Amino acid sequence: MEERIARFIAALRGAGVRVSIAESQDAWQAIACTGVTQQRLFHDVLRATLVKDSAAFPTFDRLFALYFGANEPLIDPQADLTPDERQMLQQALNEVLQQLARDLQRLLDWLLNGRPLTQQDLQRLSQQAGLEANESISPYQARRAARRMQQLLGWDQLQAVLEQLWEQLAQQGMSPQAIQGLQEQVAHNQAALQQQLEQFAGQQTLEQRARMTRRPQATADLLQRPFSSLDSAAMSLLRDEVRRLANRLRSRAALRQKRGKQGRLDAKSTLRANLSYGGVPFEIRLKERRRKPKLVVILDVSTSMRPVAEFFLRLLYELQDQVQKMRSFAFIDHLEDVTPHLTTLRVDEAVQAVLTALPPGYYSTDLGRCLRQFEAEHLALIDSRTTFIVLGDARNNFNDPALETFRNIGHRSRRTIWMNPEYPAQWGTDDSDMLLYLPYCDEVHQVRNLEQLTIAIDHILL
Amino acid sequence: MFNTVQEVRQALAAQQYIATDEIATVIFLATRLGKPILAEGPAGVGKTELSKAWAAVTGHQFVRLQCYEGLDESKALYEWEYAKQMLYTQLLRDKLSALLADAQSLTEAADRLAAEEDVFFSERFLLPRPLLQAINSDTPTVLLIDEIDRADAEFEAFLLEVLSDFQVSIPELGTIVARHRPTVFLTSNNTRELSEALKRRCLYLYIGYPDVQEELEIVRLKVPDLAPQLARQAVEAVQALRQLDLKKNPSVSETLDWAHALVALNATTLDQKTLETTLTVLLKYETDMARARRAFKLGGGSDNGRTHR
Repeated sequence: MEERIARFIAALRGAGVRVSIAESQDAWQAIACTGVTQQRLFHDVLRATLVKDSAAFPTFDRLFALYFGANEPLIDPQADLTPDERQMLQQALNEVLQQLARDLQRLLDWLLNGRPLTQQDLQRLSQQAGLEANESISPYQARRAARRMQQLLGWDQLQAVLEQLWEQLAQQGMSPQAIQGLQEQVAHNQAALQQQLEQFAGQQTLEQRARMTRRPQATADLLQRPFSSLDSAAMSLLRDEVRRLANRLRSRAALRQKRGKQGRLDAKSTLRANLSYGGVPFEIRLKERRRKPKLVVILDVSTSMRPVAEFFLRLLYELQDQVQKMRSFAFIDHLEDVTPHLTTLRVDEAVQAVLTALPPGYYSTDLGRCLRQFEAEHLALIDSRTTFIVLGDARNNFNDPALETFRNIGHRSRRTIWMNPEYPAQWGTDDSDMLLYLPYCDEVHQVRNLEQLTIAIDHILL
Repeated sequence: MFNTVQEVRQALAAQQYIATDEIATVIFLATRLGKPILAEGPAGVGKTELSKAWAAVTGHQFVRLQCYEGLDESKALYEWEYAKQMLYTQLLRDKLSALLADAQSLTEAADRLAAEEDVFFSERFLLPRPLLQAINSDTPTVLLIDEIDRADAEFEAFLLEVLSDFQVSIPELGTIVARHRPTVFLTSNNTRELSEALKRRCLYLYIGYPDVQEELEIVRLKVPDLAPQLARQAVEAVQALRQLDLKKNPSVSETLDWAHALVALNATTLDQKTLETTLTVLLKYETDMARARRAFKLGGGSDNGRTHR
C-alpha cells in the first residue's frame, strides 16, 4: 500500500499538480491517524493534504480512481457449485482446453477460478504489448495498449470458447440455473479483469509521464526563443511558465512597495495624525513613494502580434493585484474595449476572448485611426498617474500615424511605454512608423521573447 | 479530543452546523496534525461560520482577524499605545524629575532614565491585535483569519512566519511563544491566487454550494418555522438559480434570508407574486433579476403569461 501511495503522489506530480515533500509528509502522517480502510475517508484525507487548488480536484479524482479505485474483486464461480457440478465443470473444461492456445487457457483459468492477475503477469503482458518500450505515451496510446494486452490474452476468442463450454456443460446435464449462475459470475470476472488491465495501462502512462517531466526542461532556452518561431507545444510549455514568472515579478513588486513605504516624512499628515497628542510628533507618517500603477493598454491583435499579445495579457492577468486599475483595448483597424473580458473571465477564456475581440476577416492595421478613436472616446481615462502602454509593431500600412494625437495622449499620462517585438534595426523600414513615435515615448522595449517581455512588464510595475 | 471523524461531525451538528464528510475529515486532521485549515469557496457558504461553530464545539476563545487591502503588522499583531504612554509620561513628570534631580552629569541622568525604560515599554502599553491575542492567550483559542486573499502579498509572507512557529518577537520585550497552539482557520474567496508557501503549510478545504438535500437540511435547521413543502420549493428554486449564468450566485446565507422573508410574509406557496416580491433578497444585480424572471417564466409554468416587456 505504501508503495502505491508513493507512486500515486509521483503520478500527481507528473500530471502537473504541485506536491511538495512537506505535503507528502503531511499525507503520510494524516493516513497514520485515519487508516486506509475507509475509501471515502482515505480520499478526503489525501486530497486535503496533497491538493491545494480546487482546479486540480478533477485531476486528483481521476488519478485516485486509477490507483485506489474500487477494483472489483474477482469472485470464485465454483463456490456455489455442488461437488458433482464441479466435477462436470472440470471435465468440460478439460475437453475445451485441449484445443486452445496457452494464453487463452490461462485466461479461462483465471475467469473460472476467480484469481486476479498478479503484478508479474501484468508486467509481462505490458512488455509484450510494447507499453514499456515506448518513450512518450498519450492516454490514447494507453487505451490501445490495454486493448493489445487483452488481445494477447486471447480476449477475442474468449466468447466463442465460453459458448462452447456452456454447451458442453448442458450436454453433461448441469442444471440451467447453475449454468446461468456461472455465466453471470464469469461475466463479472471478465469485466473486473478488463478494468484491472485498463488501470494498469493508465498507471504506466502516468508514471512514464512523471519520469519525463522530472527531466530538466529546456524552458530557459524557450524563454529566449522569439515568439514568432514558437510552435504550439512550446507555447503551451511557456503558458505554464507564465505563472512562475508572474510570481517572481509579484514578489519583486511587493518588495518595492514595502521599501517604498520608507519614504520621506509627510509633514502635513504627521501633524494631522498627532494633533491628539498635543502636537508632539509621536506617530510619524511617511510619504508613500510607490503606488500601484494605473494602466491603459492598447494591444495590436493582428495575426503577427498575437503570440506577444497573448503572453502580455497572461502576465498582466496574473499580476492584476499589483495594478490599481487597468483598461485594455484591442485594435487592428479600429479600437475595441476588452476590459470586461479580463475582469470577468478566467485566464484562458479571457485571453481567447481578447484575441478574438475583433471578428476575423481582412483588416489592415491602422494605429493612427485607433489613436484618434481613443482620443475621442476614452481620453478621460488618462490622467497624471496613468501609464499608457502600446503593444504593437507600429507597421501602419502607410496610414497617417496621428503623431499629434499620440503626443497629446503622452502628455496627459505619467509615462508612455511602447513595446515592439521587432529588432531596433527593423524600425523605420518599410511601413514601420516606429521611429516617428519614438521621440514621444518615455520607454521603448523590444519584446521579442518571453524573457524580454518579463523585464518590460517589471518596468511597468515600477 | 475527538477519536473519529464521525464524532467531529456530530459535535458540529450539535452546534447547528451541518458538516459534510469532507469538512469533518479536514477538521479532524487539523486537530491531529496541528495544521491550519485553508477554506476556499464562493462567498456565503459557511466558511466563517465553520470556525465559529468549531470555537463553540471546543469552547475555546474565538479570535478573528479580518483582512483587507493595506492590512499591516501593526494592525494584525501589536501596536504601542502611544497616547497612553504619553499620558503616563505627563502624569509622572514630577516623579521623573525627582528621580533625575540629584544626577551629577547628563550621562548619569540618561543612565537612570534608561534603567526605568522598561516602565514605558512593558505589556502595560502594548495593544495586542488579534494575532498576538491568539498567541498570548492563557486559554486555547480558535483563530480565524478571514478573507486572506484581500490582504497584500507582503502580509501573507509575514503571516507565514507566525503560522510556522507561533511565536512573535517584539524588539522591546523579547520573544513571545504561544502557550497553546491556536486552531487556525484561513478563509479565501479566491479573488487572487495565494502563495504556494502558504498553501503548503495548510490543509486545504474547498466548500462549494451544498446540494438540494444538504441545503434543505440547513434551511430546516436554521428556519424551523418554514413549512416543509415550501422549504423544498424554495431550495429547489435557489438551486435552479445557481444553474443560470448569473453575475452573483445566491449563497446559502441568502437562501436563509429568503426563507426568513417567506416566513415573515406568511407565504404558503411559491407563487408568481411571492417570487416577484422577494427575489431581491436573493439576487443583487438588475441583470440577474431580469435573467431569473425570464428563466422562471419559461420553466415554472405556474403563471398566466408574460406581464413584463
